[in-house]
Amino acid sequence: MKKRAVFFFSAAFVLASGLFPGQSEVPKAQLPVLTTSAGQSNDVNALNIVLEEAEILYDYCDVPTLEMLQGGVGLGDKESAAGFHVEVTTDLQKFPKGTPYKTAIFAIGASLKGMGASGLTVDSEEARVKKLVDYCKKNKIFVFAVHLGGEATRGPAGSDNERMIDAVAPFADGLVVVKDSNKDGRFTKIAEKAKIPLTQIDYTLGLVDVVKKMFGA
Amino acid sequence: MVLKKRWPALAAGAVLVLAAAYALFLFPGRSEGEESLGYDADLAHTLTPDRESCTVIIVGQAASTDGSTMTTHTCDCGTCDWTWGHVPAADHKPGSMRKIYHINQYTTWPEGPKWQVYQAKGDTGFAIPQVPRTYAYHHGMFGYMNENQVAISESTIGTVRKLVNNTPAAKLDITMLSLLGMERSRTARECIQIMGELAEKYGYGFNDDGEMFAVSDPNEVWIFEIMPVGPLWTPESGKPGAVWCAQRVPDDHVSVCPNESRIGEVDLANKDFFMGSAHMVSFAVEQKLHDPASGKPFSWKRAYSPAEGSAVSSQGRRSRLWRFLDVVAPSLKLNPATPNMDLPFSVKPDKKLSVQDVMDLTRDKSYGTIFDPVKGIRGGPFQNPNYYPYTRKISVANVEYTSLVQCRTGLPNDIGGIVWVAFGPQDTSCYIPLYAGMTAVPKSFTIGDHYVFNRASARWAFDYVDFHAQVVYNAAIEDVKKAQLEHEGGAVGRIAEIDKQAQALYAKSPAKAREYLTKTCIDQADRIVAAWWELGDKLLVKYNHFGFYDSEKRTRARGQAQSEIWRKAVQMVDVWLESSPQPPAKK
Repeated sequence: MKKRAVFFFSAAFVLASGLFPGQSEVPKAQLPVLTTSAGQSNDVNALNIVLEEAEILYDYCDVPTLEMLQGGVGLGDKESAAGFHVEVTTDLQKFPKGTPYKTAIFAIGASLKGMGASGLTVDSEEARVKKLVDYCKKNKIFVFAVHLGGEATRGPAGSDNERMIDAVAPFADGLVVVKDSNKDGRFTKIAEKAKIPLTQIDYTLGLVDVVKKMFGA
Repeated sequence: MVLKKRWPALAAGAVLVLAAAYALFLFPGRSEGEESLGYDADLAHTLTPDRESCTVIIVGQAASTDGSTMTTHTCDCGTCDWTWGHVPAADHKPGSMRKIYHINQYTTWPEGPKWQVYQAKGDTGFAIPQVPRTYAYHHGMFGYMNENQVAISESTIGTVRKLVNNTPAAKLDITMLSLLGMERSRTARECIQIMGELAEKYGYGFNDDGEMFAVSDPNEVWIFEIMPVGPLWTPESGKPGAVWCAQRVPDDHVSVCPNESRIGEVDLANKDFFMGSAHMVSFAVEQKLHDPASGKPFSWKRAYSPAEGSAVSSQGRRSRLWRFLDVVAPSLKLNPATPNMDLPFSVKPDKKLSVQDVMDLTRDKSYGTIFDPVKGIRGGPFQNPNYYPYTRKISVANVEYTSLVQCRTGLPNDIGGIVWVAFGPQDTSCYIPLYAGMTAVPKSFTIGDHYVFNRASARWAFDYVDFHAQVVYNAAIEDVKKAQLEHEGGAVGRIAEIDKQAQALYAKSPAKAREYLTKTCIDQADRIVAAWWELGDKLLVKYNHFGFYDSEKRTRARGQAQSEIWRKAVQMVDVWLESSPQPPAKK
């Protein structure tokens, strides 16, 4: 009887997993964390506000260089300038300047206006992002990617936004997307292929709970 | 030899030039007199001055020479879609739905103008209940004027970071709101109420954040400003998805919006002059954007869209507000060092403004001010105002088109409303009238983009002139002014006659009047566009190789028009180069 019950519940679990593809266990991440943009859309602003709502302190730069990432907490004391924004809110008591980041969160979303303001082209932004992701993977920095812009910002295959997705999502350790961004199942396919935990949320508000769980806040 | 004889004077001059160049390097855009007015090196705590966006000029009914209300929109972008279209009125069956599009101001597509692309593949899957009848309107980047003479002009003003909501939870952006306003409103007030309510209900933002519309009808002009409420908003929250405010410009006043919020203290009880979200103060308090304990009254702009600094402290980047007010009301002697947020919401102009005055104001380059883009050697050899990048002028080179919407009382709406359109930079362009009653716009207005030269596109005709005017600007602009006088002046002068003919037809048949207006205006637009192609050809020949070719006399007078100060500056730099140690030769 017990064996049958175990079998029944196991089967039910497998079935449920099949019914809700792409809803995975939220992965665990550690501080300190850097937030940044892949494509210079305003979605990184939403990401930062989510972290603030979740009371998670972070460092932020819209266009960090590899050297800034390597510099760790404090981002090498770089200051904001036109088309370049830096914000350091990490608790420096716990994580003094220079502490290597344990997590990098990329807000994926291409904006011609945003890239233009930062003096970037799609090609240079893509190359920059790839370099950062590559460094994170080599140095065991947890890469977390979010897509909050929805279907309207996705564009057709080969679009600026799709290139940013390709530059980050397949290499992420965790993915969160609003359902509107994944109507065509693009992120589900990436997650399945690369075996990445994917969480789908109705609204950006849902990301608050995800990051709380992720950082154990 | 000449240089050697003049050596002492020229060397001294060279030192001065170098000192000036060094100062310019350290303080770009700074000029004499600015230091004494107070320079603020750090504007990081405020919204970034957006140098490339739109300017709205506003003229109240009693501030214009003909009793019309007027507003302008300089559609400043450089990569945007410039095409225009006409949307006819339509009746809708009960239960119909209105599709909602997320319309990006900046994106263009190789497969066609944005409106065709959006209708073909821009379906967001979201729709709102349709109204029984939607009104006809003309649109460009936004809806500009509908059949009821409700008109709109736009300027992006930005908001504080925490309120930006670019998530898909926000269903309406500013372009979509303008279209809905056009489709559904009979007066400016109704348009504002409709846009505000829809934005609160369905959420505002996505492509846009803080935005401003001048909303006008023949009797009133209002400044409407709207903000998103942050990316964590959801429709299920039961809270409004936008916060907005509107203030009426006094009838005998003029105002301007240069990408900065203009509404200060708000009195919603004064319904003749204010409208807005009921929660505008409580939400600001909740978001810690206003502190009631401060003892200071609530200020809409200081809470939701603070733009610190002045024309002087921003090194000319925020000079448009002061510049406009100073030009129209010099008697007020407004100081360019006054913080912009302390400048008045509107002013009574020293003299009433005609439609031609307003056209000329959209061409303003800040000449004669400390921000003058051709002062000294800023404009290069031919005093071209487009070289000097620091002053943010009302008229900039990256404008797609400028619309000037004119709403007039005493005429049927079809005849009273006029949208004047000037493609490309205003200084080299020509305003062309489109009456509200037109049932189509000129074909050449519906064609073209920045990336492929197109002789069928009106915009390219004006770019063709603008491009050739840049070569020897100070001479070529005089040729352009002559053409403007003939064609734009002619169009302004013909309005009375067109009005008369249209009214006579309207008395018999409004449809006949609309037909007349459509044909007359399209014919006129076609003539002006053809004239600009021809002007471009003439400029190409005349200023080819800086030659000053005279086609009639078959002569050439090379070397004219270089400014004297430029010649001297070149000599000074030559002296400096002669006296400087030469860099070691490369091995």
